[in-house]
Amino acid sequence: MNNYFDLKLVELGRWIEAFFAHYPTLKLVVHLLLCTLPLALSFMGAFAFTTWLERKGLARIQNRPGPNRVGLFGLLQPIADGIKMLLKEDIVPERSDKLFHFLAPIMLMIPAMIGVGFLPLGDGLHALPLDSAIIFFFAISSLNTIAVFMAGWSSRNKYSLLGGMRAVAQMISYEIPLVLSAVAVIMMAGSLNAQEVVASQQISSWVGSGNILQEFFGRILGWNVFKPWGFAGFIFFFIAALAEANRSPFDLPEADSEIIAGHLTEYSGFKYAILFMGEYISAFAIAGIGVTLFLGGWNGPVFAGLPWFVLKLFSLFAVMIWIRGTLPRLRVDQLMGYAWKFLFPLAILNIFLAGFYHFLERQWGTAIAMLAGWLFGFGALQLAAIALSRLNQSPTIRSKRVYQLVE
Amino acid sequence: MIVAFYLLALIAVLGAGLAITLRNVVHAVFSVLLFFSALAGLFLLLLAEFIAAVQVLVYIGSVGILMLFAIMLTTNVVGDPNRPVQSRGWVWGGLAVVALLAGVLLPIISRTGGQSPTPLSDFNPSVKQLGLVLMDPYFASLGVIALLLTAGLIGAVVAATGASEADQAKTVPENRPRFPNN
Repeated sequence: MNNYFDLKLVELGRWIEAFFAHYPTLKLVVHLLLCTLPLALSFMGAFAFTTWLERKGLARIQNRPGPNRVGLFGLLQPIADGIKMLLKEDIVPERSDKLFHFLAPIMLMIPAMIGVGFLPLGDGLHALPLDSAIIFFFAISSLNTIAVFMAGWSSRNKYSLLGGMRAVAQMISYEIPLVLSAVAVIMMAGSLNAQEVVASQQISSWVGSGNILQEFFGRILGWNVFKPWGFAGFIFFFIAALAEANRSPFDLPEADSEIIAGHLTEYSGFKYAILFMGEYISAFAIAGIGVTLFLGGWNGPVFAGLPWFVLKLFSLFAVMIWIRGTLPRLRVDQLMGYAWKFLFPLAILNIFLAGFYHFLERQWGTAIAMLAGWLFGFGALQLAAIALSRLNQSPTIRSKRVYQLVE
Repeated sequence: MIVAFYLLALIAVLGAGLAITLRNVVHAVFSVLLFFSALAGLFLLLLAEFIAAVQVLVYIGSVGILMLFAIMLTTNVVGDPNRPVQSRGWVWGGLAVVALLAGVLLPIISRTGGQSPTPLSDFNPSVKQLGLVLMDPYFASLGVIALLLTAGLIGAVVAATGASEADQAKTVPENRPRFPNN
C-alpha cells in the first residue's frame, strides 16, 4: 500500500495528458500546466490555511479565542481577509520609485514559487526534477533578498530602508549556516538530487525484507534527524531557516515595535497581500527543503508519499508558530554575531563530524558509529559551543564609567 | 529551444545595454541582475545545471547584493542631471569592444564554418561528473585556493576587530580636554 496516493496522482496526470495525445503542442502546454498549477494553487491554499492556523495558535498561546466569527472556528477568516485586502485602496507614496514599488511583490513571489517546485512532494511528484535540485533551491531562495531590498528601497521611507538593510544583512549572513548544514546531508547522500536524498533516508536492507516490523521502522529510523550529525544539522538548519524566512525570533526586518513594519511599511491593499503570501510561501519552501533533507522527505511507515510530506511540513510550520508565540525577538546587534560567530563555526564542525561518522560506519558498522557519533560528536559540539560562547562574551567593563558631560 | 535561446539572448543584451545607459544607479544594478539571470537561463539551455545554479547563487545572490548594499544608502542615486550618461569617448570604447568580440568570435565561427557541431554521444553533464573532472586532476590547486580564501577570511576578521583597548588608550591622551567647546 505504499506510495498509493502518489501513484494514483501520477496516473491521473497521465490520464489527463492522454486526451491530448494527438496534439503535441497542446499536450506540452497541458503537461506544463499539470506540473505548475496544482502546486501553485495548493500552496496558496496552504498559505490561507496557515494564516488561520497562526492566528489561532498565537491566540491560544496568549489565552484568547482568536478568530471565531467567520465560519466554523473562524475557518473562513482567510477568505474574508483576502476580500478585504482586494477592496482596499492601493496607496503608492508620491516620491517612491513607482516601477520597483510595483515589481517588488512579484519579485518575491517568483523565487518562492520556483523554490516550491524543487521540493520532492512524493514518489514521482516533483515539478522540477533537476540533477542538482538542492543547490538550485538555495540559489533561487537567495533571490528573496533582492525582492525585500526592492520593497525597502523603492518606498522612500526611512523605516522601509532600515528594514531592507536589516533584511539584506540578515539573509546573507544566515544563508551560510543554512547551506553548510545542508552540505553534511549532501555529502552523506552523495547526491544533489532531491529524490536521491529522500531515497537515502531509508534503511534499504530493512525496507525490502518483507518483515512487517522492519518495513515499518526502516522507513522511519533512516531519517537523517535520527543520526548524530543529522540531528545537530537539523537544529542549525532550522535556526538559520527561521532567519532566512524572516520568522520570529528573527523577524527584525519587520519588527513592528522598532521600525513599524520594515519593508512592508508603505504597502497596502493587494500588494501587501502578495508580499505577505510570498513570505509565507518562501517559509513553506524552506521548511519543505528541511523536511526533504532531514526529516525523511516523503518517507513514512504506511502510505509513504504526499500525505507524509504534508504532515511533516505542517508540523514544522506549527513549530515555527509555537516559537513565534514563545520567544522574544533578538536584538539587532546580537543577530549578526549569532550567525557568524556561533552558527557558522558549529556548522563547519558538523560537516567534519559527518565525515568522521561516515568512516566509522564503513569501518565498524552502524551500531558503533551511532554510539561514537552521539557520544563523541555531541561532546565535540558541546565543547565547541561552550568555547564559542566564552570567546564571544562581550568585554566586561572593569573601570567605573565616567560621564564627561555631567562632571 | 531556439525560441528560448533568442528570447534569453535578447534579455541579456537588453539588460547589459540598460545597465550602461540608465541614469539611476540602482536601476542600473538591477539591469545587471537581469543580464545575470538571462545568462543563467542560457547556461540552463546548454544543460549546464550546476554552472547555472552557481551563476544565480554567486552573481545574483552575492555580487548583486554586494553592489546593492554599497549604493543602498546613497541619497542621490541619479547623479548630476546636467552631465550626460555617456562619456565623451564612448565611440572608441564601443569600437574596442566590437574589435575584441570579433577577435574572439571570428576564429570560432570560421572553424565551425557556420554549421552546428555534432552532438556528443557520451555527454554526461551531471554534477558528479563535473566534480570528478575538477577534483581529480586539480585537487592540489583547489586546495591552495581554499587555503587562500581561508587566509582572506581570517584577515578580514582581524581587520574588522579594530584596535584593542590598549591601542585606543595610546591614541587618546588621558588629560586632553575632549569637549573644548564646553
